[in-house]
Amino acid sequence: MSATLTILLRTAIFILVALALCGLIFQAAGYSALDMFASILDGAFLRKGGLSQCLRWALPLFITATGVVLSFRCGFFNIGAQGQFYMGAIAATAMASWLNGMPVAVLVPVSILSGMAGGALWALWPGILRFRWGTDEVITTLMGNFIAGLILVYVTTGPLKDPSGSGQQSSSKPLAAAYRISNSMGLSPTIIAISLVVGIGMWLLINRTAFGVLGGLAGRNPEMLRWQGARMWKFGLASFMVSGALAGLAGAIEVFGPNGRLVGGFLPTHGFTAVLIALVANLSITGTAVAALFFGGLASAALYLPIMAGLPSAAIDIINAAIALFITAKSRMIDRMFSARGKTP
Amino acid sequence: MIDFIVAVLRSGTPLVYVALAGMIAQRAGLWHLGLEGIMIIGCCATIIGIVLTGSYALAILIACVLCILASMLLWFVIEKLKANPIIAGLGLTGFGVGGTALAAQSIFGSQAAVTAPFGAPRLGDSFGAFASLSIFVAAMPAVVALLWVLLRRTRFGLQLAACGEHPFAARSLGIDPERIRLFALCVGGVLCAIGGAELASGSLQIFAQNMTAGRGFMGFAAVVFGAAHPVWTALAALFFSLVGAIGIRAQILFGDAVPHDLLLALPYLATVLGVWISGRLRGGAKGANGFSELRDY
Repeated sequence: MSATLTILLRTAIFILVALALCGLIFQAAGYSALDMFASILDGAFLRKGGLSQCLRWALPLFITATGVVLSFRCGFFNIGAQGQFYMGAIAATAMASWLNGMPVAVLVPVSILSGMAGGALWALWPGILRFRWGTDEVITTLMGNFIAGLILVYVTTGPLKDPSGSGQQSSSKPLAAAYRISNSMGLSPTIIAISLVVGIGMWLLINRTAFGVLGGLAGRNPEMLRWQGARMWKFGLASFMVSGALAGLAGAIEVFGPNGRLVGGFLPTHGFTAVLIALVANLSITGTAVAALFFGGLASAALYLPIMAGLPSAAIDIINAAIALFITAKSRMIDRMFSARGKTP
Repeated sequence: MIDFIVAVLRSGTPLVYVALAGMIAQRAGLWHLGLEGIMIIGCCATIIGIVLTGSYALAILIACVLCILASMLLWFVIEKLKANPIIAGLGLTGFGVGGTALAAQSIFGSQAAVTAPFGAPRLGDSFGAFASLSIFVAAMPAVVALLWVLLRRTRFGLQLAACGEHPFAARSLGIDPERIRLFALCVGGVLCAIGGAELASGSLQIFAQNMTAGRGFMGFAAVVFGAAHPVWTALAALFFSLVGAIGIRAQILFGDAVPHDLLLALPYLATVLGVWISGRLRGGAKGANGFSELRDY
């Protein structure tokens, strides 16, 4: 049996194990696991308009996840997608409020580009610490997530605050309707086009360029690449910046698309889910597209559960976390069951 | 001044316990990023235990058992299923944060914070200014000393370190690294349970969703900063909470001149700084070298 099929089966089996564990937790917490899974399935895919909602959540996740794929392929645990996502959203909003009144054709592209720049810069400092001084990127990018979250709260209650805003949630001034790239449903040709461009571009970068292929080698065997004289920091910094820029792009899209403004503490699990998507997809771009649809469905179910089914939305976080717990597992038993029999290497 | 020391001890003690848990795992050769999740399970189990059983000792026992179970799950996934420790640890963290939110909601029917009628036993009036601190604060130096003796002065401690530094050599001497790591994670589970109990019931007697707010990761950073040495790790954890307390003090002194949320970011910045310094001193951290690093299977 081919290697791809083995990987697919292994992924499917461990996702089932994770779901079984979640079922146990739901039962223990006093909910019916069957009801829970039925409502999640309903909220994610089956209900009326469910697929378009699923796509709405899947596209930003897909964009962030492609960036994560690149940096993981290069062998760097950039788990700071959340912080880069926030900084992208902040930079895009700041640029938009600075340019307010300019024509749409200027403001929107410039703001989205500055969002990408914001995300890339937020990924740059852990990268520099990593390659200049060997500071471990896992901790720095994680701490960067917390710091960016606090900066977001500061910005939405301070400099970018909406003075007329009321209620508990702090937010920036809403963007003028003309500047937005989608309505509140969050699905528009512009967003789909951006996602397609990102997806195809990243596929080409990873599979059809020297950078992508060498980057993949850098992740699998950094020693070899170093002996051959490649400069690791080049691959590292580039992968950090590209993944940061893509997370920033997703943040800018959330601001200019469905949200229409910057909200304090919005989508707190976006980055983690993107990391998860990259891993479920086994670090391939086509796989990322499929996995993004699955997790996009779960994300839309997280909104559906408390309102329509009266169940807590924490259920979705638990499912995501359980999948994360098992997704990198490699069971020798499963490998032996499905790997090529007879032919010995 | 004495108020300030009390504040540092109060906010630092949970961090020290959690950092010690990460330190044992680190010495045994595991990057323990599930600390945050196990700690919040400890917080939640303590408060719910107090409310349901009415006894503090029982509540701590429940917290310890649940934290050990979570640690064993992490051990199984990492050692038996050969999952990546970093991703599995992050998964366990999400599991703990989501699971405790679900548990609190299903038992008390609301998303609001859960309050317990009483908290950890306090030191009492004979300690003067420190009377309001819990017994876990007083026990902390003893725990650090005990762990130092265990890890640096016993045969077992050396075996544990060998499993972290060169598992292959350890195995050739008949030591089973997997079993030693299971022990390390379970002891860590108890320490996380105590850290969580101190955070939830040491001064506030409350459980709120996501109340650990990155303390587990900070504890892990203290392990890196403190080079996985019991005393240095504890001091690093206290240093991070000292920076946090300075931030709060600065807020009282300067009022609104400095934005409140940016002062809250100080401990996280201190963490980054600490990891950076330890990278400079010791030439970078080992461990996270990508997915296909040659591992001892």
